[in-house]
Amino acid sequence: MSLLEGTNLRKTYRMSRRTSVDALRGVDVSIAAGEMVAIMGPSGSGKSTLMHVLGLLHAPDRDGGLAPGLRFNGIDVTSLSDRERTRIRARSMGFVFQSFNLVPTLTAEENVALAAEYAGTSRSQARVAAREALASVGLADRATHRPMELSGGEQQRAATARALVNNPTIVLGDEPTGNLDSARAAEVLALLRTFNRERGQTVLLVTHDAEVGATCDRIIRMRDGVIVADERVPARATLEADIFRPTASSTPVAAIPVPVA
Amino acid sequence: MRLLRELSRRKLRTTLTILGITIGIWALVVFSSMANQINGLVSMGTEFYADKITVTDGVAFGTSPMRLTDADTIAEVDGVAAVDPRVEIMWEADPAVGFLPDTLNGGIPGADAGFESFQLELATGRMLTVEDAGNVVVLGSSLAREHAAVAGESIEIRGETFEVIGTLQATLTAPDTTGYIPLSTAQQLYITDLPPLVAESLNAAEIVNQVIAYPDAGADIAAVASAIEAAVENSATMTGAEFEETVGATTMIFNAIIIGVATISLIVGGLSVINTMAMSVAERTREIGIKRAIGGSRSRIVRELVAEAGVIGLLGGLIGLGLGALVVVLVNELTRAGGTVLFDLTPTTAAFAVGFSTILGMLAGIIPAWSAARLDPVAALRYQ
Repeated sequence: MSLLEGTNLRKTYRMSRRTSVDALRGVDVSIAAGEMVAIMGPSGSGKSTLMHVLGLLHAPDRDGGLAPGLRFNGIDVTSLSDRERTRIRARSMGFVFQSFNLVPTLTAEENVALAAEYAGTSRSQARVAAREALASVGLADRATHRPMELSGGEQQRAATARALVNNPTIVLGDEPTGNLDSARAAEVLALLRTFNRERGQTVLLVTHDAEVGATCDRIIRMRDGVIVADERVPARATLEADIFRPTASSTPVAAIPVPVA
Repeated sequence: MRLLRELSRRKLRTTLTILGITIGIWALVVFSSMANQINGLVSMGTEFYADKITVTDGVAFGTSPMRLTDADTIAEVDGVAAVDPRVEIMWEADPAVGFLPDTLNGGIPGADAGFESFQLELATGRMLTVEDAGNVVVLGSSLAREHAAVAGESIEIRGETFEVIGTLQATLTAPDTTGYIPLSTAQQLYITDLPPLVAESLNAAEIVNQVIAYPDAGADIAAVASAIEAAVENSATMTGAEFEETVGATTMIFNAIIIGVATISLIVGGLSVINTMAMSVAERTREIGIKRAIGGSRSRIVRELVAEAGVIGLLGGLIGLGLGALVVVLVNELTRAGGTVLFDLTPTTAAFAVGFSTILGMLAGIIPAWSAARLDPVAALRYQ
C-alpha cells in the first residue's frame, strides 16, 4: 500500500517579476509504507522541492496544468490549510536536515522534547520521550548539552532523535549526511536504517551521495524537475546497517566500530 | 525557563528594552503615587468640608476681618443650627506657599459640639476648653511631628512661647497642619499682622475672619448659603459641594498631566519592545523555520514570541515598580520631617503598573510574532 502518492506535482518558484524557476514539472511518485527511498539528482533537479511537497512544507501548484493530487496515509492532503499540514508534520512526519537545524539556545533534550510538545505531548511526557529518543541514538549522556557543545555527528544524531521522537510514519531527510564525514554519515544512515527495519518507519532521503543512495531500497533519480529513473537497489548494499545496533544505553555510537564504506 | 534562557542569550538588547519599559513604569508608579496622595487629600478635604458652610469676608477672599457680631447674624439665618466663629491665620507671619499651609486656628471650644461630623482624635494631652486662654496650643499631627512636640512641652510660634496641651492624630487633611489656639489668642495675633493704621480702627475682641455655619439636618445647604450671603454684607460662602467642584477641577487637570506623562513614557517603552522583538525575529528566522518545519503551528510560534515579549514587559514592570517604590519611600522619608507626604503608592497602583507593562509587552510582541509565524518554513530554513 502506498503511504505517499503524488500525481501531477508541479512547483514554480517566482524569483522576480520576470524570472521564475520550474522546480517540479509534473511528477508522479508513490512511496510505499516501510520503504527506504533516496531521491537523487544534480543540483537544481527539483529533488529538494519534491521532498518539500511530499513533506507538506509546500503545497503543489494548482494552476497551469493538470490538477495535482497528493495523498498521505490514504488522506487527500493536496489542499489542506497550513494549520492542518502543520498538524500532520508534527504528528506523522520527522525531519532531518543537512545543517542539523537544532535550536541553538535549547539543550539536546529540549530540542527533542520540543518536537514531542508540538505533536501534543505534555511537557513532562515530552521530556521522558526525549530522553528515550536520545538514548536510542546513543546520546543519553549528552542530553543536557547545547548544540554548540556537540560535534557535528552528535548534532545530527540529536536531530535524528528529534525526527523520531513522535514515532512518525515517515522520516524525511534533506541531505542528512551532507555535512558529515563518512564515518559519522554512516552512523546516521545506520540509525535511519535500523529504525526503518525495526519500527517499519518509511524513510525518504534527498541526497546526491551515491553511497547514501546505495543503502536505500530504492532510488528515484531526477533531472530538470522530472523523474528520469526509478530503480530498486540490490539487497547487498544495505548490509552495513545491520552491524549497528543502537541500544538504550548511553554507549556513544562512535565507540561501536562502523565499517567505512 | 526556556524563555528566560532565550532572553538571557540576548543580554544587551533585552536589558536595553527592559530599561525602556522600566523608565516608563517608574514614571507611572511615581506619578500615580503622587496622584493617589493628592486625590486622598482632596477626598479627605471633601469629607472635612462636607455638611458645613464656611463663611468668610467676600471682599478680599477672607483676608479682611469680619465681626464677631456677624456670627450672631448668621446664627439667626433660617436653616442654620449652630455657628463656630474662628480666626484662622498663617502659622508664620510670612508664610511659604504650599498645598496645605501651616495655620493657626482660634475658635470657641465646643461651639461645634454635636454638629461637626469630622471628629478629631487626640494623640497626646487634651483638647482646648473655654477656660483656656493665652499661649496654649493643640497641634495637628504634621505640626507635632515637625516640632517633635507632645503635650506638656513648649514650642515657639511667631517669637512667642506656647505650651502644647495636646496633639492630634493624623487626618490627612487641614487639621494636620493646624495649630488650635484660644480665640482671644488668635485675635491678638491676627491684629498684630495687620498694618498699624488698619489695626488701630479695630477691636481685637470683635474680630473673626471665618464663621463655620452648621446647617439644620435636611436643610438645603446651597439655599442656606445664599441666605447667609444675603444676611451678611460682603460675605462669601463655601459649601462642601463647592469645595469638591473647585478642587476637583484642579485635580482632574493634574491627573490628566500625570496620565499624559506616563502614557508617553509607556509608548516609547512599547515601541522599544516592538523593535527588540522585530530584531529578535529577524535574527531567529532560521530557528522559526525549524520550529515550523518540525510541526510548530503558527499560533504556537505567535504564543512563544508573545510570551517572550510579555516577560520583557513583566521584568520591566517589576524593576520599574521597585525603583518607583524606592523613590516614593525615600522622598516620603525626606519630606515627612517637614510635615508633607508627597506620595501614596497603593497596592492597586503597583498591581496596575506591573499588569499594564506585561500587557503592553505582549501587545508590542504581537506584530513581530505574527510576521514570524507567516514565514515560509522552507525559505526560513535556508536563511543564513
